Amino acid sequence: MELQKSFLDPRTKLLLVFVEATLVLATAGGERLVVFRLAFTVLPFLLLLTAKCYSACIVGMLVLTVTEMLKYFVFQSSNGTLSFLLLMAITLITRFLPAYLMGVYVIRTTKVSEFKAAMERMHVPDELTIPMCVMFRFFPTVREEGTSIRAAMKMRGIGLGGGKASEMLEYRVVPMISCSAKIGEELSASALTRGLGKNRKRTNICKIGFGVADYIVMVVVMVMIIYWMAGYFGSVG
Amino acid sequence: MIQFEHVDFTYEANSETPSLRDISFTVKTGECVLLAGASGCGKSTLLRLLNGLIPEFYPGERKGRVLIEGREISNQEIYDLVGRIGTVFQNPRAQFFNVDTTSELVFGCENLALPEEEIVKRLEKTVADFHMEKLMNRSIFELSGGEKQRIACASVATLHPEIILLDEPSANLDFEGTENLRQMLAAWKELGKTILIAEHRISYVWDIVDRVLYLEEGRLRADWHKEELVNFTEETCQKYGLRSLVRSSPMMFVTPEGYRLEQNTAVTKAVKEQADQIVLRDFSYTYRHGATFRVRELRLPRYKVTAIVGANGTGKTTFLECLSGIRKNKGKLYLAEGENAGQDAAENGLGRAYSGRRCQKLIFMVMQDPNHQLFTESVLDEVLVSMPEEDEDKARVILEEVDLAQYADRHPMSLSGGQKQRVAIACAIASKRPILLLDEPTSGLDRKHMLEVAELLKRLKEQGRTIITVTHDSEFIRICCDEVMELSEVSA
Amino acid sequence: MNSQGNNSKLNGRDLINVGIYSAIYFVIVMAFAMTGLIPIFLMLLSSMVAFFGGIPFMLFLTKVKKPGMIFIMSVIMGVLVFVTGMTYMPVIVSVITGIIAELVYRSGSYQSMSKAILTAGVFPLWAVGNYLPLFLQREQYFAQRESYGQEYADAVMRLTPNWMMIVLVLATFLCGILGGLLGRFLLKKHFKKAGIV
Repeated sequence: MELQKSFLDPRTKLLLVFVEATLVLATAGGERLVVFRLAFTVLPFLLLLTAKCYSACIVGMLVLTVTEMLKYFVFQSSNGTLSFLLLMAITLITRFLPAYLMGVYVIRTTKVSEFKAAMERMHVPDELTIPMCVMFRFFPTVREEGTSIRAAMKMRGIGLGGGKASEMLEYRVVPMISCSAKIGEELSASALTRGLGKNRKRTNICKIGFGVADYIVMVVVMVMIIYWMAGYFGSVG
Repeated sequence: MIQFEHVDFTYEANSETPSLRDISFTVKTGECVLLAGASGCGKSTLLRLLNGLIPEFYPGERKGRVLIEGREISNQEIYDLVGRIGTVFQNPRAQFFNVDTTSELVFGCENLALPEEEIVKRLEKTVADFHMEKLMNRSIFELSGGEKQRIACASVATLHPEIILLDEPSANLDFEGTENLRQMLAAWKELGKTILIAEHRISYVWDIVDRVLYLEEGRLRADWHKEELVNFTEETCQKYGLRSLVRSSPMMFVTPEGYRLEQNTAVTKAVKEQADQIVLRDFSYTYRHGATFRVRELRLPRYKVTAIVGANGTGKTTFLECLSGIRKNKGKLYLAEGENAGQDAAENGLGRAYSGRRCQKLIFMVMQDPNHQLFTESVLDEVLVSMPEEDEDKARVILEEVDLAQYADRHPMSLSGGQKQRVAIACAIASKRPILLLDEPTSGLDRKHMLEVAELLKRLKEQGRTIITVTHDSEFIRICCDEVMELSEVSA
Repeated sequence: MNSQGNNSKLNGRDLINVGIYSAIYFVIVMAFAMTGLIPIFLMLLSSMVAFFGGIPFMLFLTKVKKPGMIFIMSVIMGVLVFVTGMTYMPVIVSVITGIIAELVYRSGSYQSMSKAILTAGVFPLWAVGNYLPLFLQREQYFAQRESYGQEYADAVMRLTPNWMMIVLVLATFLCGILGGLLGRFLLKKHFKKAGIV
């Protein structure tokens, strides 16, 4: 599978992740921004389509639809603890999903070098950029290691029945850290022999820059903030 | 020109035994040199002295001088050597900084702050030279081991180093992967690069190299030149503990009449007695990207070592994972068990049927990366937790059997690759499960350790275990496998 | 270590180490943080982060020999929660707690084990930054979260009188110390023997 090119600048994507998190996940702005919230709930799905991540998009849609149906049919007729639990689940899904999908989109479409270039443009120092690049590169590795270790435990029949918390820590967390740390050592050896961290200015051949789409996103976000602020001061005044 | 003058080196982490002792040699510009010798003989240490990872990354005490083009490099930092010396490492999973291939190729050049046009020019040239247009702009998490190693080589090549070091580059590659690597090395040689390659699997480079430096316990024991190399026989190699020189595909062992497992088809290997077979039915797995792997029926000989061979990506590992229950499965396994077979044996004529958890209880799998299956703080504990009922005396007997008795109290993670493998096998023995699966048990092993694994498997077979191993190691197959089965993709 | 000279500037390897351990730390911490939406767990969140984060953090400290690494890791944590919508406050908090943690470990010349455990107590205080809006901007915080439902808001309200903040800081600190001790135990039991330290 070829990596999909995104038509958005990494900096715009960063902005989108942030908006998604504050507007949809943390529901900043309350009722006043409900239209924007709706728009930003739909946006990740559209973006995923443009990146050809069809399966993530479809699964996301299904989950969202089911949740909404639960909300309208089951939730109305429930009460007490059940309704409380249901509400929790529903809010959790409807708010986390768009932010999560936006994260999926950004990670699928942003190369480490693009991220690096964006950070450099924003004058973030190398001391922060390099660790963050390594971190994003390393998340999938940690996850892979975790999965393999879980599989191995299952095969050996350890920790399935009556697994104690301490054993779980020792047998799962410790090997995961050990394996990841070992891979990390090799990763840094290989990066160092190719000159990472040489205290000089680097070049970057990947082209980033704002296009029409980026400006549209920025204008929308801008309008939203002005509208929100207007309501804020309006109600105060 | 590379010169070593009476070099001694001792790692800080292992200060009792020096890793290199009084090493002196000279490599001329444009020479291609193979560093051979058993595990722990100092091959990797030698390379690390050249690329600067010693002392910056691996501190220790060094005596003597290492010179490149007449200049001592000992006091230079890793960075000063970037662009002059390139290194390809062993583990294809660990040596990438980027997530996409194109960025990886230009990574070094960017760090050197070369001008953009120059980088683009180098990138295009490297891609064309190594014919890797198809590998560009992909996620490294989706590449096979062989493809990853090609990217690793190419990412070194873009730096245009004069000297190229390779540290067991083939350890995780299949036959086709090593053939690709061979072509890359030949191309570099053509370009006049100086190449030093540390390797156990020597067959694929033997006729490319100009010289072989043979090390033993940190000392340089022999320096063979081209004229001597052509006269090497299998016997000479064995005498020096080197791996076979025969460059052959493991597919060669599959007999013409064919013992090929094509997915979606039924395969039967004729066996004399029904009691001597294991029947697998309907093992299948659907990958996330949609492709389905399916074995409708497969009959395997019991109490034998069966090798599964096949090109990359045919699902060999997936097959083992399905059997061992790591991947959830509805498949059934039939074992003829004499009078105990019970009701279902009478019905299907195959023996007792096992599926799900019960099937898992029959099978132990030794994974390709044994790091993933070692959990406890000592080798002895590792064996103990694998036993249905803990019994220290028995555990020690098992460790004796796999030649690990003196390591009983060591932490499993601190052992060498081969030893870890044997710990995992010891756990398999301790678990008393009758079927043992192994995934590439000889990757990265020298001749001695490979033979040890082979011997161990033969013994386990005699004790009444059935062994199925995925492997691409022809020498290993020749020595200990009874049957070879090829796994191929669904034929159109 | 002498071979590296007394250069105290961070080099490539140090920065990569920060990245690697940030990834491990964050994955482990997130696994437990996901439970934070249940009111009672919300309050325990920072303590859990402190406790379980102690294991990779203690291993990380064995790699720290120069000033700056702890601080950078702290800022990264702050930035990560900032991006996930927890307002700007965690960033400020993470900068402050990062500096303190750095100073504590530095006072033990980057090798004292007791200082390391103390550092493990201070470092996770970045996670307390997540609660700050809850106390400092109470009205706004609940206005933003009204859709969680009145029950959720009430539950959180009941659990969070202002003195709760001090309790949270102390609890996080203590759990950090405990996590540090656990980390030290596992260092001895596993990581040292495994040759990772």
